[in-house]
Amino acid sequence: MNDTELISQILDGNMNAFTFLVNRYQKLVVHISGRLIQRQDELEDVCQEVFIKVYQNLGKYRNECKLSTWIATIAYNSSVNYLRKFRKFDEVNPDDSIALRNLADFRAENYETTDLKHYIREQIELLPIQYRTVVTLFHLEEFSYQEVEQITGMAEGTVKSYLFRAKALLREKLKHIVDENSLKLVKEISNEK
Amino acid sequence: MRNDELTEILDRSFSVEPDFRLPVDFAQKVTTSILRRERWKTDLQDYFFLTAILVGLIAVASGTYYLVDKELLIRALNFFESNWLPVSFLVFILNFVLFADKVLLRLLFSRWKID
Repeated sequence: MNDTELISQILDGNMNAFTFLVNRYQKLVVHISGRLIQRQDELEDVCQEVFIKVYQNLGKYRNECKLSTWIATIAYNSSVNYLRKFRKFDEVNPDDSIALRNLADFRAENYETTDLKHYIREQIELLPIQYRTVVTLFHLEEFSYQEVEQITGMAEGTVKSYLFRAKALLREKLKHIVDENSLKLVKEISNEK
Repeated sequence: MRNDELTEILDRSFSVEPDFRLPVDFAQKVTTSILRRERWKTDLQDYFFLTAILVGLIAVASGTYYLVDKELLIRALNFFESNWLPVSFLVFILNFVLFADKVLLRLLFSRWKID
């Protein structure tokens, strides 16, 4: 069943169709809200609120964007509002030097080659919230720059910059295993700031 | 490790799903929660509808008695006027019973069932 049929079924009062929609998009919502909130115990409530909003506003959805983009926008806004409520959301441009300090140092002797990926995944969770958001939307959910802009309200240039800086920060922490060229790149980025 | 190799590892790591999980029955829970919310609204509508019907019936009965037996209606109105406090209390209690039956108890039971 495609999204248009699904929506029309839900609007006709078919709650099984809504359960189907939740099953289809819960991964998307859990990835976005999870990366923003980072608390498993609060995640279920936030995700539930997201889908309740989806249900309540489904009649207003006008096919101007993909349903996934629309749901992602609701998930992003709900999570940001949740964080604002508890004063955990920093709206200013993230400071890379502080972010770099927050990341754990990579110690090659403690990690096997396979553990490198695990280490990177752990460090993604320690990145500034804006970086985590754009990384999740662009790389994990494979939204385009325009879609990420639509979801987050960040300008396309900002999205690109955050993606670049997120990668640069992780490269900096992995400087022991990368060649000199990438070190120069990180330094150039730091100087640009 | 070469720079392009590291870039590839970073890109692949960015595409790995984070370790956040929802319960297996999450979709069903959301649907039940929405149905409960929607049912509360329907119950409230039913209550107002029933109240309106009762008020309408009383109005029709009063109108009929006004035409058939005006004296009886005047006596009834006098009775209500002189006993306005117990009559108001009785109307309030009856209305509350109807509200509890149609809305409040259903809402409490459905919450209790979910909790």
